[in-house]
Amino acid sequence: MAEFQWPWQYNFPPFFTIQPNKDTQAKQLEAWCLLVLSYCRHRRQYSLDVTDAQDSPLFHNKKIDRKLPLDAVYTVLEELRKKGNIEWTDPKKRNRCLIMWRTPEEWGKIIYQWVTSNGMNNTVCTTYELVNGDDTTSQEFHGMESWLLTRALQTLQLERKAELMGSEGVKFF
Amino acid sequence: MGSLFSKKKKEESRITEQDKAILQLKQQRDKLRQYQKKIQANLDREREVAKRLLKDGKKEKAKLLLKKKRYQENMLQKTDNQIDQVEKMADDIEFASIEMKVMEGLKKGNDCLKEMHKIMSLEDVEKILDETQEAVEYQREIDDLLAGGILTDEDEEAVLAELDEITKADLPQVPDEDVSLPEVPRDRIPEAEAPKERQRELVAAS
Repeated sequence: MAEFQWPWQYNFPPFFTIQPNKDTQAKQLEAWCLLVLSYCRHRRQYSLDVTDAQDSPLFHNKKIDRKLPLDAVYTVLEELRKKGNIEWTDPKKRNRCLIMWRTPEEWGKIIYQWVTSNGMNNTVCTTYELVNGDDTTSQEFHGMESWLLTRALQTLQLERKAELMGSEGVKFF
Repeated sequence: MGSLFSKKKKEESRITEQDKAILQLKQQRDKLRQYQKKIQANLDREREVAKRLLKDGKKEKAKLLLKKKRYQENMLQKTDNQIDQVEKMADDIEFASIEMKVMEGLKKGNDCLKEMHKIMSLEDVEKILDETQEAVEYQREIDDLLAGGILTDEDEEAVLAELDEITKADLPQVPDEDVSLPEVPRDRIPEAEAPKERQRELVAAS
């Protein structure tokens, strides 16, 4: 896997302190949101543990010895939640969250595109073969976590492009 | 409310019994694949262990482990066959349901064709064709009547004569007298003698 390309802000020490100026802060948060999403996307990460993440390179730049404080991490994550990119699995403790660097609709489209290009309309598939099968290793959705796959397929179901058959199977149309 | 329920029912009906059967088969295939992965991982691990045992001089244990490995390899082959069978079965069902759809399509087409033939009987076609023929002839009569009213046979002749004149006037003048042609060379060409003589004969004959 190619090395992750950090944005320039990552090596800019003030980036790790939430800025008091409202305008600057908005831009800063925007940049953080983008960074979190692209980082998770690069690592194909579908969930985030806040405690783990705080020590990971994402929020901790060892080179310039800067670390985003916990409350700032929560600010960034809350911002992402407002945008619909993350969801807390434990809303009270807020320790783990699901990450969607693509919305379920986008995933649905990608999966449906793959299905169509393989002539698999009107075919029954198991969810296992979609995310773990040998045919999808080159696809972006390979290895996707099942909760997200289910949601993506549900969006297709709403468009009548697919129909879920329990949690283990799906039929595409 | 009623329409809402009926819509839901319609959506449910899109998955057939065959689909469920196929899903079950494919799930079975997935399970076999997972099993294979497990065995493969086991095999790799045991190979390493056997190597280590050999290094340590525990030949008997290594042999036992290799025996187990061999047995698992056989299992792997067996699951391969099973996967093959399961996949074949799923493909067969899929293909059969496609065939069924083709049949349905053909049947519908056939019914439609029949329906249309009912409307379009052979007698009707004949009658229509006859009527068309009559209409064409009628039209021709009208044309003749209208055209004949303007030009008589004499007029036609006059037209042809005028056409002749114009064509003649347009052609270049051809001289009336005989044109003297250059003499034929008298030099003998030995090889071409025979044909030349024949040519002369031909000239004489004409």
